[in-house]
Amino acid sequence: MADYELILFKNMAKTGYDGSLKAYQQEGGYAALKRVLSDFSPADVIDEVKKSGLRGRGGAGFPAGLKWSFIPKDYKGPRYLCCNADESEPGTYKDRQLMERDPHQMLEGMAICCYAIGAQKAYIYIRGEFDLGAEILNDAIDEACTAKVLGKDIFGSGFNLEIVVHRGAGAYICGEETALLESIEGKRGKPRIKPPFPAIHGLYQEPTVINNVETLANIPHIINKGASWFAGIGTEKSTGTKIYSVSGHVKRPGNFEAPMGVTLREIIYDFAGGIKGDKQLKAVIPGGASAPFMTPEQIDTPMDFDSIKAIGSMLGSAAITVMDETTCIVWAAMNLMEFFHHESCGQCTPCREGSAWILQILRRIENGLGEETDLALLEELCGRIGGNTVCAFGDAEIGPILSTIKHFRAEYENHIREKCCPLRPKARLAMAH
Amino acid sequence: MSFASESTLGDGPLKTMSELVTFKVNDIEVSAPKGMLLIEAVKKAGVEIPHFCYHPRLKPDANCRMCLVEIEKMPKLQTACTMPVAEGMVVQTTSDSVVASQNGVMEYLLGNHPLDCPECDQGGECQLQDFGHQHSKLGSRFLEQKRVFPKEYFGPLVEKEMNRCVSCLRCVRYCDEVMGVTALGSFDRGNGTQIGTFAHGELDCEYCGGCIQICPVGALTSRLSMYENRTWQLKKTDTICNYCGDGCSLILEGVKDDITRVSSETGAGRNRGDLCARGFFGYGAINHKDRLSRPRLNTKGRTLEVTWDWAFNKAAEDLKKIVAQHGPDAVGGVISTHCSNEEAYLFQKLMREVIGTPHVDSTARYGYINALSALNEVFGTARLSHYEDIRSADVLLVVGADMAESNPIAGIQVKDAVRAGAQLITLDASSPERDTYYSHLPSLATQHLNIRFGTEQSAIIGLVKALFDKGIASSAPRKLVNQIKKKVAVISFAEIEATTGLTENSYRRAAQTYAGAEHAVMIVGRGVIQSEGGYQNMLRLEELSILAGQVGREGAGILPLASENNAFGVVESGASSEYLPGLKRQEAKPKALTLLEMIDAAAEGKLKALYLVGADPLRNLPQKKVADALSNLDLLICQDLFPTETNAHAHILLPAASFAEKSGHYTNHEGVVQKGHQAIEPVGGAKPDWMIFSILSNKIKEETTLPYFKLVGYRSADEVWKEAVMAMPNDWQQNSKEAISRHVAAYAEHAEIQYALQTPRASNGVMDLQLGQNRYHAGTTSRYAEGLNRLLDCECVVIHPDDAEALQLEEGERVRLSSHLSGASVELPIQLSQKQGRGALFVPEHFGLSVKGLLPLTIDRESKVPYGDRGPVKLSKVAASTQVKG
Repeated sequence: MADYELILFKNMAKTGYDGSLKAYQQEGGYAALKRVLSDFSPADVIDEVKKSGLRGRGGAGFPAGLKWSFIPKDYKGPRYLCCNADESEPGTYKDRQLMERDPHQMLEGMAICCYAIGAQKAYIYIRGEFDLGAEILNDAIDEACTAKVLGKDIFGSGFNLEIVVHRGAGAYICGEETALLESIEGKRGKPRIKPPFPAIHGLYQEPTVINNVETLANIPHIINKGASWFAGIGTEKSTGTKIYSVSGHVKRPGNFEAPMGVTLREIIYDFAGGIKGDKQLKAVIPGGASAPFMTPEQIDTPMDFDSIKAIGSMLGSAAITVMDETTCIVWAAMNLMEFFHHESCGQCTPCREGSAWILQILRRIENGLGEETDLALLEELCGRIGGNTVCAFGDAEIGPILSTIKHFRAEYENHIREKCCPLRPKARLAMAH
Repeated sequence: MSFASESTLGDGPLKTMSELVTFKVNDIEVSAPKGMLLIEAVKKAGVEIPHFCYHPRLKPDANCRMCLVEIEKMPKLQTACTMPVAEGMVVQTTSDSVVASQNGVMEYLLGNHPLDCPECDQGGECQLQDFGHQHSKLGSRFLEQKRVFPKEYFGPLVEKEMNRCVSCLRCVRYCDEVMGVTALGSFDRGNGTQIGTFAHGELDCEYCGGCIQICPVGALTSRLSMYENRTWQLKKTDTICNYCGDGCSLILEGVKDDITRVSSETGAGRNRGDLCARGFFGYGAINHKDRLSRPRLNTKGRTLEVTWDWAFNKAAEDLKKIVAQHGPDAVGGVISTHCSNEEAYLFQKLMREVIGTPHVDSTARYGYINALSALNEVFGTARLSHYEDIRSADVLLVVGADMAESNPIAGIQVKDAVRAGAQLITLDASSPERDTYYSHLPSLATQHLNIRFGTEQSAIIGLVKALFDKGIASSAPRKLVNQIKKKVAVISFAEIEATTGLTENSYRRAAQTYAGAEHAVMIVGRGVIQSEGGYQNMLRLEELSILAGQVGREGAGILPLASENNAFGVVESGASSEYLPGLKRQEAKPKALTLLEMIDAAAEGKLKALYLVGADPLRNLPQKKVADALSNLDLLICQDLFPTETNAHAHILLPAASFAEKSGHYTNHEGVVQKGHQAIEPVGGAKPDWMIFSILSNKIKEETTLPYFKLVGYRSADEVWKEAVMAMPNDWQQNSKEAISRHVAAYAEHAEIQYALQTPRASNGVMDLQLGQNRYHAGTTSRYAEGLNRLLDCECVVIHPDDAEALQLEEGERVRLSSHLSGASVELPIQLSQKQGRGALFVPEHFGLSVKGLLPLTIDRESKVPYGDRGPVKLSKVAASTQVKG
């Protein structure tokens, strides 16, 4: 296994590291924040992050520094930072580890971001199921405030920052940034219409930056070691490292930190120890449930935003789900659709009605009740969702369906022709809604 | 809020858009104001973009995705409901991709829809049907099992059928954005999304009916007209609501002579399509089985149903007899403020010219006359402010009004203004807390001057005093300023605080906000107009507005709220003891008697005949006194819709037609004159009031020596209107800044200003009782509306939960109210409300008569208004043994 430099996991990889403020400071923690507060103007910080090439780790890969720079400079009212810790994408479990094992790394990143955008209040919107994470973060915030590295008059600079941990209530859609804002505001979690974008009208209609946990955790390192150091890691347009969450039919599932641009082959066969039982690889999802499926022929593609996009999938959260030859692709697509149907917020017609209809068709096909016309219908139904919905959820839910039809059409046709699932002949799934 | 007329956009968003841009839609070049939403702008090219969630009254939500269009240089289809039109924009609404998307949305929406159009009450006016017809391919490919929700009765008046719902959330948004009530929400997710209430309870709200009206499909429908008719069979008639003074346009819909539904048109009328419970659910009184249908004679204890001709002859004969014996002055007449302008005009003409008596009055004497004459006295007009001014004002001062109960639609204008950033100052004795899902303006106020019960008069002095020395406008006449300054100088804030409970600071802050406003509108409710000292207190408020410079100029003014639909118009048409048509003061000889004076004169035997048109003095005045007076009359003619306590005494009882059965003009409290049209033929054998007056006039003048000017015989209300308008001064519906300031200057010269502080009252274990209006009822006619009775059908005492707790009372428990003056008592159940002021009780005035008997009656010295809605009572628990459960 290649020996890559760890950035985000560096501290926690050390034996005995407990994530406490003391431990974090022993590893040089909060030096970046201190330096920023004494030596950097907010514009300098934004510049540095821009130069580092850091792109958002939540899935969309939007340049973080650029996002920060959208906050109006001369705005008189409050601004906010929301840390998106609603990690709900199936197969993704990197943020949880970052928060539970090294909370101050992220908190320091948040503080630097808040300084850069002029926010004095930040929210961590944490997935409701992350009991432990929320507890750890709250303790870490208390600890940091007591030590004056967060809270009032940080490092005597006059800069104040209050960080609030807000626990979600279980809706996947609240990971969508504007639904997240609605949820913090105490409303039903459903995405807003954009424009206006959160940088102008965000939380409580004030300018707001929303960044993923992993994105923010990178910030202290960029300040400490410089933008050019960071930009030198990874590929030209996808800089730094990435945490790859590997799950499915592999021998050693887990989170692996490696530079952007390593290949899927390296991740699956090297980091994760290859396919369980040394079976054949059948398909792989490279970036969480919403990323289109990839085939074994495509696994030499570098794992960076642009390369994965070029072959028709997306890096997303880099949650890699590996499926071996025993997996029924129709079942896999149906399984994902069960998830998306369950999580569709119901706000807009194509997603609300489409997800239910598509799921019903997939259930029929998997149960041997498919019709000849179903594949064309599925493609058309998906086509009406893509690009036509309020938020990106619509595009996400059709990715797995369209890609499996594209790459595994014969398997769908086989289900319909044979009137059963060849790989799971005894499958008896509830047909009733 | 029918779809066909959605083109009328509210005045809000477009106000600042003056610059025009040119754009192309489907190759047609058109121009529209810059920033106008595409979905509206394309209408200029005759293009309609299909939509469900968009509605001009609401903020765009872009959730149905039906309005996606193609815009050149944009990568994806865009929602026309959120896209502002821009110069050079090139839009396609019929391209292949747009049509595919529209077909797609329709197929999605129809997939789970039950397609139960044949029995759906929305059938025929359903946007899903209409757009489905235009934008759906034939046949559906949806072969799956449909999602099924059980049908629900959603409270007493709404049926909820979620299988028909398209999840556009218009209902939820209307409830939030327009009503501010937030009773509705959506719950569950995906295609299990439903509309509902918090914790899935019954709908518990103001029942404005907005959710039903704004629903584009049959998901929310009215239980009052469930499965009764097909919408296209309904005849629709535009008219003006007959309940309160808001002057709402509504559409009566019915088959033959049966009104079965009410609707309104988005953007239309003073109400811009919004309605309240009374307007939307209150039509049941029109076709009620208890309506009087035949003229009746009561002679010697016998009741005879007679023909109209007989009744007219008898009435004319009896009137002539009395005039011959006792002179015309022995006849008096009172008309209801629910009658039209034509009727009020004709009635005063019948009394003054045909019979020759000066004694004519209206039920505006119960209070609204205070506002009209006080405004007329100072400004020469009562038309000082419109809803448009309220919506664009930056400060609103609402004095003594519970608008959510009495005038809900005027209340919506205030809510709109607050939402647009206006500061709201409220002055009354209510608590600023609000009951969940019910509007209460003080809860929205930036300053709520929470005075002690009944101390409006002293609080007004506080406001005036606080205006000195910083807030006096240069436009205020010096003489007036100096006079008032002297008066308030002798009153200290300490005294004002001792009476009202409010500090100098509260008054200063409010006065400065009001005087400092760019455009302030003062709204005055019955807490002032219809309460003790009403006439003088109204004058004080007018002086306040003059001193603050908030009257007589564009955008600023005073709005006196009327609780009856035509209080303004009836007085202006001359049915008032002091005014001829056009609010011309009359100096009659002998002096014209007011309503109460007529009762007194009857008791003394001076008045022999009384003609009561929709007036029910037994309800509103001390019963014993009125009953004695009525029985002393030689002739009592009553003209009513329903049997009342008063008309039980009538010698001649004439059945009158309701507003739905006649056309006529009504003047709302803004002074806006609007025409209501006849929707159905008079119910039973009723006749419109104007027709009765016209025929009776003819009968009287036959073979008589009475002085009259010309033959009175009208073929239609319009003919009466033509004549009535001629009796008005030139430009009677206009006012000019010059004329107002001329009047104010004249007033300043002759005004004798009285400033009297009320004395602080010790509580002595009594509570203050206020009778007043409930949001579901108006007067007593609404009691015949089935829909409204489902919302409130019995009298109750409203009390603050804290008071109830202190007295160990629970919701629904019966209590005894007793007068500490007369010892009379009444037993009623209690109802808790957060907005009720502590230490004060409220009883809706629409039910029993006996509560009224607990309260003292005082008469206004100048306006002769009887005040009998307020007073101290003792409240005690009813012993457990006599309690009735429920």
